[in-house]
Amino acid sequence: MTSGLRKIHKYIWILIAFVIPILMVFSIKDLDMFSPSANSKSEITSTKSNAIKIAENDLIKASLIKKDSTNSIEVILKSTLKYPSSILYEYNGNNKKGRLIGQLTTVGIYNFNVKESLKGIIIYDAIKEEVITKILF
Amino acid sequence: MGLEYQLVLWNKHKKTYDKIIAFSMLLYVILFAAITLIFNSETSIETLIIRAFGSLAIIMLHIILSIGPLSRLNTKYLPILYNRRHLGVSMFLAALIHGGFSIFQFHALGNVNPIYSIFTSNMDYGSLTNFPFQILGFLALLILFVMASTSHDFFLANLSAKTWKRLHMMVYIAYILIIVHVFLGAFQQETSPFTIGILIIGFIIISSLHIITAFKEVKIDKAKMEANTEGWLKLCEIDEIDDDRAKIFTVKNERIAVFKYEGKLSAIHNVCKHQGGPLGEGKIIDGCITCPWHGYQYLPYNGQSPPPFIEKVATYELKLLGTIIYINPKAFEEGTKVEPIQFVS
Repeated sequence: MTSGLRKIHKYIWILIAFVIPILMVFSIKDLDMFSPSANSKSEITSTKSNAIKIAENDLIKASLIKKDSTNSIEVILKSTLKYPSSILYEYNGNNKKGRLIGQLTTVGIYNFNVKESLKGIIIYDAIKEEVITKILF
Repeated sequence: MGLEYQLVLWNKHKKTYDKIIAFSMLLYVILFAAITLIFNSETSIETLIIRAFGSLAIIMLHIILSIGPLSRLNTKYLPILYNRRHLGVSMFLAALIHGGFSIFQFHALGNVNPIYSIFTSNMDYGSLTNFPFQILGFLALLILFVMASTSHDFFLANLSAKTWKRLHMMVYIAYILIIVHVFLGAFQQETSPFTIGILIIGFIIISSLHIITAFKEVKIDKAKMEANTEGWLKLCEIDEIDDDRAKIFTVKNERIAVFKYEGKLSAIHNVCKHQGGPLGEGKIIDGCITCPWHGYQYLPYNGQSPPPFIEKVATYELKLLGTIIYINPKAFEEGTKVEPIQFVS
């Protein structure tokens, strides 16, 4: 290398040695990587108490809620689903999905309007075409 | 070094290295797949391929980036430096498989152009937690593509040394993009301290190697030489140079390589005319100084590439007083013949 290139290489690596650790620290801090709850199931809890039916499994907790004349379902997704797509359907029995309710993405609380006669719900991966989980009331 | 362009310029040694590269890559992917399936049997084949080739590309990039400084710190790594180009292209292929499968799995199943989808599916640029990390990987892949495709001799010959070198120094930008891509991307889903630790250790090793080497080079540049009354500079004892190898000195801010071969000593400018490779880190092969980067050759006594090649570098006059080598710091015109110093060992 010429002396010019040697200098450029030196300055580039001194810069990299400063920049990358800063980015690493920020991303570790922001992503909360070493928090014990980061990879575990969420402890999100519902604030609603007027549920008429409640069902729960390892992945979700579902509550059928009646308020005035409106029926809704509250779905708490406890941990991230390792599937490319997760669509929520009504469960009609016979292991088949019924009317589309909505889509789930990250951990959290989801609310959807539904019919009162809901027997259960199915979370379905539309890309892999397989049932992720189902829950009956 | 060839007169006509060939798709791949193989020789016996390069074929051996390429076989080692191919075998190692295959072995890594098989081991990765086996371990993944043992510990997480639900992993899909697409995810397995994405992760296996992504991690393989990162490991290979770390190896590639460590070859340069390692070969400056210890000459036993020079044979790997000579084959770095093929390792670089292989690393690009691994990154391409990773990127290609990722684009297919996450962006090709919708109704928009997959490339457009990469840039628009997540616009949360203000967040580190949900940063669109795939864009960083895509940009790094583009840089690696440009580098891999211009590594061929045709581009080496037709781009100027300055342009080619600047183009290939973009690997450092790619490295930063890839590190951030992994930190903001893979770790959003896979927050294993083990994986993070491996990446941090890799970064510390690579950056330390480069910085240590850089400061070692500064020390060499600043070394003062003893001059006698006639202006000749004292270089070293003759025994300090190995047979068919060189020792590099800094004379008037220029690096000069003094070669010892067949009972003779010759000095030439250290920088290869091809792409600025360090000739003094190469060795004498078939009577010619052979650049460790791409195998360009020069005759030690006149700094000229053997016919029909036309590259030539500056030469210097040496003298031997007892066992001590001296150099006249005034360079001769490029390609000037200088009678080698004969010595009896």
